[in-house]
Amino acid sequence: MKYFISGGLAATLLACSSAFADSVEEAWAPETFTLDNGMDVVVLPDHRAPVVTHMVWYKVGAVDEDPGKSGIAHLFEHVMFKETDDLEDGEFDSTISRLGGQHNAFTSWDYTAYYQRVAKQHLGKMMELEAERMTDLIIDEDPEGSFITERDVVKEERRQRVDNNPGVILQEKVLAEFWKDHPYEITVIGRMDEVEALTPQDGIDFYKKYYSPENTILVVAGDVTGEEVRALAEEHYGMIEPSGLVDGTRKWADVPELTETLELDHSDPKVRQPVWYRYYNGTSQKRDRDFALALDVGLDVLGGGNTSLLYVALVEEQKLAVNVGTFAWTGLHDNGPAVIYATPSPGVTMEELEAAVMTELTSLLETGFADEDVLRVRNSMAASSIYARDNQQSMANLFGSWLAIGGTVEDLMSYEDDIRAVTTDQALSAVRQVFAPDRNYIEAQLLPAEGAL
Amino acid sequence: MKRISYGLGVSLAAVTLAACVATAPSETVNVDLVEAEPEPALQVDIHDGEFATIQQFTTPGGVSVWLVEEPSIPILSLRMAWTAGETNDPIGMEGLTNAMVYHMNEGAGELDAQAFFKGMEELNMSFSCGASDESTYCNSSMLTDNARESFDMIALALSEPRFDDGPFERFLREREVGLQTRETNPRYLASRARAAAMYPDHPYARETSAESLAAITQDAMRAQKDLLMVKEGMLVTAVGAMSPEQLAPLIDQAVAGLPDTSAPVETDPVTLAAPLPEPVTIDLPQPQSLVTFAAPAMEREDPDFYTAVVLNYTFGGGGFQSRLMQDLRVEKGLTYGVYTQVSSEDKIQLWSGGGQTKNESAGEFIAGVKENMETMVADGMTEQELADAKAYLTGSYPLGFDSNAKIAARMMGVRLDELPVDFFDKRNAMVAAVTLEDVNRVAAEYLAPENFTFVIVGQPEGLDG
Repeated sequence: MKYFISGGLAATLLACSSAFADSVEEAWAPETFTLDNGMDVVVLPDHRAPVVTHMVWYKVGAVDEDPGKSGIAHLFEHVMFKETDDLEDGEFDSTISRLGGQHNAFTSWDYTAYYQRVAKQHLGKMMELEAERMTDLIIDEDPEGSFITERDVVKEERRQRVDNNPGVILQEKVLAEFWKDHPYEITVIGRMDEVEALTPQDGIDFYKKYYSPENTILVVAGDVTGEEVRALAEEHYGMIEPSGLVDGTRKWADVPELTETLELDHSDPKVRQPVWYRYYNGTSQKRDRDFALALDVGLDVLGGGNTSLLYVALVEEQKLAVNVGTFAWTGLHDNGPAVIYATPSPGVTMEELEAAVMTELTSLLETGFADEDVLRVRNSMAASSIYARDNQQSMANLFGSWLAIGGTVEDLMSYEDDIRAVTTDQALSAVRQVFAPDRNYIEAQLLPAEGAL
Repeated sequence: MKRISYGLGVSLAAVTLAACVATAPSETVNVDLVEAEPEPALQVDIHDGEFATIQQFTTPGGVSVWLVEEPSIPILSLRMAWTAGETNDPIGMEGLTNAMVYHMNEGAGELDAQAFFKGMEELNMSFSCGASDESTYCNSSMLTDNARESFDMIALALSEPRFDDGPFERFLREREVGLQTRETNPRYLASRARAAAMYPDHPYARETSAESLAAITQDAMRAQKDLLMVKEGMLVTAVGAMSPEQLAPLIDQAVAGLPDTSAPVETDPVTLAAPLPEPVTIDLPQPQSLVTFAAPAMEREDPDFYTAVVLNYTFGGGGFQSRLMQDLRVEKGLTYGVYTQVSSEDKIQLWSGGGQTKNESAGEFIAGVKENMETMVADGMTEQELADAKAYLTGSYPLGFDSNAKIAARMMGVRLDELPVDFFDKRNAMVAAVTLEDVNRVAAEYLAPENFTFVIVGQPEGLDG
């Protein structure tokens, strides 16, 4: 595929372009179907190596937790690796390992996903194991048993991911304000005191309510055909009766706009490089796909890398910042933030940095974007979907995460075209809207502890 | 069948963006091989391996290439490497190689840094270089439709990098910040303390400092590039939708501006100091302690290497299957993760590991690691553990060959380690040949707790108990 770009460099490149004849891509397409019990299935063929990635996505995440039970979705994900009717504690892992498989799981606000990567001949066994823990998990109610030990593991995980990292501590504070009174308010791993109080009964309730085939999406990527997957899925998952308890409602909600501008700081003796942030109300691809794609393009032009307008102005020309950028969380079901951040050059104060960034932002948004910058960004984003095909696990994640929040395969297949259709005006007006001077925001600063510098 | 003929000896001056017209295949495609110009045919040795079909060839310009043709996605993953790296920094100029590789995509020829970055973005290609102690490398990915123009960019970068003032000043600002932030980075602090304890006088313990950064000049970077990145001994691996005949002239064009040869310094092997009986503790105010430990291991060529790989899986390398993970995470809930690894590099061989635990349980964590070492030394592994380790290590091997980028990286690993082209095919048999007697002997020789130097970063408690 050739992209037509105006300008001296590109003109030279076009003059000598030459496609290699035998690298023409065959049409590639996923296959989708639904089992009688409501389990959706997506097959992403990739026949380069005799390997598959098998994923089960549950349409439940931290967003669905009851008040006071933060962290149960994630802790429960850990518990899913324990004992079942047919598998002793540890046997799930040892069975997969003996087959040379790798496996793990992850939890987000919007979904919980389990996966195995394995040689293709073991795909059926992976389905058998996932089906087993979907239906026959045993939750250890012993007050000194495996549920409680796993709770301690999660507390260590929280210390490792959050409490040891000043930047993450600050982010947790900011997001709690950004999503105040919205279910995303609490970080996925949960509050330490609430995790500490979770009980085996909480696990049992959660399992019964959400873990049922009609609440899942099966994604298989790799060296398989749709027919092979259909036969195996019907054999292993097809006979699981829907629990009937999943009503399909999620606790997603509109994210209220910030009604006031806030300032939040976090200082820590471990911080040696201050960072300045502003969090504005953004959007999500699920709720407003056209606007989100335009915003993604606009933020990339503005602050997406070392050719972006802010970077060139503040890092390359004025040399006031070591780094500056803009991005938005548009991949969640509900609206996420649009963020500007900057780190000062040595000797530059936070006040000087903020003033310079905001002056530059205002002036850039007034001037507008050059078509060639927008075109370059659009083409890069579109090409990323060609490169994504090189990794079957990334492909499985891409499809699973979008479908789990209610998106469609068609959206993903048309991404390249849709991103190329974003106009300069659309990209600019999206960014102007999000960073409009009358918008509220949360300003956050990560600072060294007093006297530490 | 068609073959694209190539012009030998692309001149340095021709390696500009405009010059690709001169080598456009439309002018020189020879559809009929029989009537082709009498240029030397590219000699390609095809190794039809179990995990990949590797085509080995030497370009007319003398570069040795391993290529896996993969037509199903129109991309190419390319790796280039040289077997000398950061230990060639002059004393007092630590960070020079790092500075040099930073600048390799920061402008070349007529293109300043911004123009070069934008050129790469317009082609949807990536190109960047890096270095380790003993190697220097450049990696690229590109769309095969843009291969010719992408290689023009690489050629320009390799032959005429600019080392401009702007990027150099930015590099120095970034590194100045880096010197500050590393002082509270637990992993950095642990590795520095390990080097100070185990090989304080070896070049691997040398560090970038404000003074060494101040000594770096643009001329020194140019000289370092000519020392480390030369045609002789250069290694290339590639995976993607291209044939040897298509790739060879592009690589020759890309490297045409490199010096033929140079004389980098070879690093002396590391001689490890005696292990410290007590842990080294680095104070850092945070709720969790990072605990690391390291002991001598064997060389890559040692007949015990695969025995160590198998033993390591069961001891601490095999995730939930490892004894350390079972005991310290699953049984005791002390950590989110604990691991060990055997790293047998050319000049240094370490058996190392680590994990994080709350400060209050640091003593218990270390005691648990040591207990597991003692048990392994005393009783060895079981037959079941041995079978499980082999089953995983051999069964999971194909998972590393399911993407172009992974295969290109793996082939480069093999080439840097000077392993043969059939290494991938033979590796599982070497794992399978390990016996229980072997692992128990190696456990006794290497895993005794007194062999290990422990380094803790945080505010650990309970170390006396």
